[in-house]
Amino acid sequence: MSVFELLSQYGGKYMLALLTTWKLTFLAFLLALSIGIIITIMRICPIKPLRIAGDFYVQIFRNIPGAALLIVLVYALPYLNLVWSYYVCVLTATSLIPSAFCSEYLMAGMNTIGAGQIEAARSLGMTFFKIIKNVVLPQALRFSVLPMTNLLVATMLTTALASQVPMNPTDLTGIVSYINTRAVGGVTAFLISAILYCITAVFIGQVGNLIDRKVRILR
Amino acid sequence: MANKENPTETAATPIITLRHVDKHFGQLHVLNDINLSVKKGEVVVIIGPSGSGKSTLCRTINRLETVDAGEIMIDGVAMPQEGRHLAEIRAQVGMVFQAFNLFAHKTILDNVTIGPIDVLHKPKKEAREEAMQLLKRVGVDQQAAKVPAQLSGGQQQRVAIARALAMHPKAILFDEPTSALDPEMIGEVLDVMTKLAADGMTMVIVTHEMNFARQVADRIIFMDAGSILEENTPEQFFTHPRTQRAQDFLNSIKNH
Repeated sequence: MSVFELLSQYGGKYMLALLTTWKLTFLAFLLALSIGIIITIMRICPIKPLRIAGDFYVQIFRNIPGAALLIVLVYALPYLNLVWSYYVCVLTATSLIPSAFCSEYLMAGMNTIGAGQIEAARSLGMTFFKIIKNVVLPQALRFSVLPMTNLLVATMLTTALASQVPMNPTDLTGIVSYINTRAVGGVTAFLISAILYCITAVFIGQVGNLIDRKVRILR
Repeated sequence: MANKENPTETAATPIITLRHVDKHFGQLHVLNDINLSVKKGEVVVIIGPSGSGKSTLCRTINRLETVDAGEIMIDGVAMPQEGRHLAEIRAQVGMVFQAFNLFAHKTILDNVTIGPIDVLHKPKKEAREEAMQLLKRVGVDQQAAKVPAQLSGGQQQRVAIARALAMHPKAILFDEPTSALDPEMIGEVLDVMTKLAADGMTMVIVTHEMNFARQVADRIIFMDAGSILEENTPEQFFTHPRTQRAQDFLNSIKNH
């Protein structure tokens, strides 16, 4: 089938798949960012067991393949009497792994903040959480806009895991299998999905650059 | 010069008290049985060769440095080791650093208002108005909307002083406030500090600026190798140092 035949027949399905990928990406990234921030605060807090737990978390989820994590969530959790929908399983897998990377990027961003600013905050009478809120997080986030942009793209690519479980509507990778079991789309069906991934990634990259230029801290 | 004219103040609680403070960095005895008391409105200048422990002493007063032993009291209240209560007492003591340490992502105005708003819970409008007055007092009100990197070192240090003043501190600690400045900017910062001293602010200053020390100090503290070797009025100290080490130190700076 040609690109045009594929698009005329499955254009609507592709749009739906693109939206599903976008939605998964957005939700997963939001979760990854939130979890990443919490883990990072744990990793720098004055309570040692929390620091160890945070480091452990990052080591686990930075080093586990997404497919393996998804298999654990889908097939192993039911043994613990936890049966999650496929959607929740995919969302969990695609947010836990990026959350570990998110924490690493934030730690790197924090290293660029001088110890002097932290001392200044302490001498103003700020407590740990106020220092995090006022001085550390805002600067760490601004310093890590570009790595976070990459993380968002990586998160989007990780959402292709959705194709490995039955989902309706399915995502951009899942739609290829859907089409190829019903028609002879061949590699062209893949190509269309690939182009849609690419366009999204380029757009994310541009927006990331814009944000970085806007929030960059003069030194 | 020592021209405090209120003799009843000697009976009042000192703003800063250090008793038998000891601190080691590994083998190095950086603070050796330090006893110090600073009265309200007093300006105490700590001088000494580098490595003598004067910066460490200054930073110890609001516990930016931990100590091994001894007691530190601010306005009669013992400083706890850590926690919320320590933060509350720190808020009462201003600190001005060698490297300015302004918050790089905040405007000049926000640098000054963040303490009053977030720590003292002042209304934003009130905090901003007072911050503008303080910035005017140190001569950088024109720069209020800029970020620290857009200011000269001298301007940044004056902002840092305004930031400390905004907390209405009981005392301000200055840790070598002009050591990182180009020579032409030292004067503008010392001028601000001289005015503060004249207004009756309680100050502990670590500095290498001997003329300034002589001019504003009520008392000079000379440190070497972690100990306080001399405490005297500036006149007495600079003209008749009692210890050999103080004489050597003064001679070594005179020759340059």
